[in-house]
Amino acid sequence: MNVYPAQRCVGDPAHLCKRERIITLIKYLVRRALGWLLMIVVATNITYFLAWGFLDPRSNYVGRRPPLTEEQIVNTLAPRNLSDTVPLIERWWTWLTGILLRWDWGVSPTGGSVNEQVAYRMWVSAELVLGATILTTVLGIALGVYTASRQYKLADRIGQATSIITMNIPIVVAAFAIVLLAIGLNDATGVRIFYVTGNASRGVEGFFPVLIDVLQHLTLPTIALVVIGYAGIHFLQRSLLLDNIGADYVRTARAKGLTKQQAIRKHALRTSLIPVATQVAFTIPAIFTGAVLTETIFAWNGMGKYFIETITKNDIHGTVAVAAFGAVLTAIGAILADVAVVVLDPRVRVS
Amino acid sequence: MTSEMIDPTVEASTAAPGPETTRVATRRLSKWTLYSRRYARNRGAVAGLIIFALLVLFAIIGPLIARYDHVELDFLALSTGPTAEHWFGTNNAGNDLFAQVAVGLQRSLMIAVSVSVGVTIVSALVGTAAAYFGGWTERITLLVIHFMMVIPSFLILAMISNKSGGDWRVIALIMIFVIGWYFPARVIWTLALSLREREYVSAARYMGVRGFRIVLRHLLPNIGSLLVINFTLGVVNAVVAETGLSFLGFGVKIPDVSLGALIGAGSSSLITSPWLFYFPAAALTLLTVSMALVADGLRDALDPTSAAGGRA
Repeated sequence: MNVYPAQRCVGDPAHLCKRERIITLIKYLVRRALGWLLMIVVATNITYFLAWGFLDPRSNYVGRRPPLTEEQIVNTLAPRNLSDTVPLIERWWTWLTGILLRWDWGVSPTGGSVNEQVAYRMWVSAELVLGATILTTVLGIALGVYTASRQYKLADRIGQATSIITMNIPIVVAAFAIVLLAIGLNDATGVRIFYVTGNASRGVEGFFPVLIDVLQHLTLPTIALVVIGYAGIHFLQRSLLLDNIGADYVRTARAKGLTKQQAIRKHALRTSLIPVATQVAFTIPAIFTGAVLTETIFAWNGMGKYFIETITKNDIHGTVAVAAFGAVLTAIGAILADVAVVVLDPRVRVS
Repeated sequence: MTSEMIDPTVEASTAAPGPETTRVATRRLSKWTLYSRRYARNRGAVAGLIIFALLVLFAIIGPLIARYDHVELDFLALSTGPTAEHWFGTNNAGNDLFAQVAVGLQRSLMIAVSVSVGVTIVSALVGTAAAYFGGWTERITLLVIHFMMVIPSFLILAMISNKSGGDWRVIALIMIFVIGWYFPARVIWTLALSLREREYVSAARYMGVRGFRIVLRHLLPNIGSLLVINFTLGVVNAVVAETGLSFLGFGVKIPDVSLGALIGAGSSSLITSPWLFYFPAAALTLLTVSMALVADGLRDALDPTSAAGGRA
């Protein structure tokens, strides 16, 4: 299979070729998505069994005063499909059919619906992860281009030194350092500029007050994620661009009269963006892992916090839902990477 | 790779007399001289190595010279800042932070180094073996690797580690097999793909050398420099992962301490006793940044085509 179906395209008007190309691309993406879907299904089921191996809802009731009888525990857990008196394979089947037939991901040991939790928390995390991903990418690429066109000059040296340090600061340290700085700033100005906990204040209404409130909460965790994330993209973009600046086609562009900046922007950058796009798409799950720590530190009620709560509360259905969410993020990242490569690289023939 | 290299910049004193006044050198540099010279050109890398050596020294000597044991409680000094008695201050239970940071650093280093050694060995063996044997071995290995990429491995790690009861040896083993090996293995597999087509590999095969022996004797030595760099970066990754785990409370458990656990404990009193955060955080950041600088220097020193360090 081929994005340029050569035989039929030759001599055709350009727009026809383009349409065929888009149709083939969509077919290809659908096939890839189906492959990923299969992977997600298998991975989620494996996690279900793993979770039963390492989490025990029964242990939530150990040490209760007054102690619960065996019968009481079973009676509480059995309707929630969490009782180990039922054979594992039967529990699995109930869980799986619940998802397939009713899109019901089960309940926690205390009876709360997993669907509700995920549906709410997903957007809290998305707010953080999306903004951080976009900023990380833009900053990384911009710095990469800037330093690559000034290789071994002062700006490049400073950029390299800063990036190698920020890239290796553990996110926990970075986040708390930012908290300390923000508290210092709040104290110095006497105004509460930044909130260091939570994702929104209660009782704020109106478009602009809400926007300002969101920014006050969002800024610090986003900075924490961006500070540790941008450097990876900076280094990749810089080294790829340096490889391309010396290439023949860039020299040709210069010879035709483009300035160095134009040649870099129009020719070298496009080629070197391809692997960067792939890397960005594949770092989405990594940013999600980073968000687990960031959400804990800044007390955001997102998926990351949910991940910790489900493990500590032996919430098997919740844990599996978080795993499935992570797997979906990986798949979305991989498919976005495919799309980016096809869009950016005119030479790619999908097969 | 040859073990001896000729340095053209050194002028020869033993060169035979000829019509020219200057001569191309013949004095040979051992590869270690060459590597260390190239490494020393990178000032950041030298600084990183020194910082790392000092940290290791601190982790070994610190617990010996500390006035208190890391589990000992001093009820006369609760939540005090750095004093002559307690160099790094104490926490609200009266633990001496100096001893805790030294022991925690030791623990973090032990976990990181053993995880990185394990990951390097496993990933190198799996990656090269998959590339060399090809066929079903390769297909199944790649399938497993792709699977590991889909499964949110940090979640699995947290789940298993939480159950392990906080023993650092168990945590290190889980870290190797759950989150560590698959990504480097894939990189090594890609590199080994081109190695398996080399003449010396074919030559060895036609001489009747067994498959696994070819992997060990012919493929692995040729990715040696990559493995050294992977090892250094692996230490950084392992330290960061362990910090995350212990910070969340899924890693080492009291009375054992690691830097992540210390930061987690210190973060609850960030405003009132910030030294509980400053010292472990500083040790941790110095550790990761110095290792990254070392890796950067090694990459330039070991890569024969790198121009970053200037000429040898």
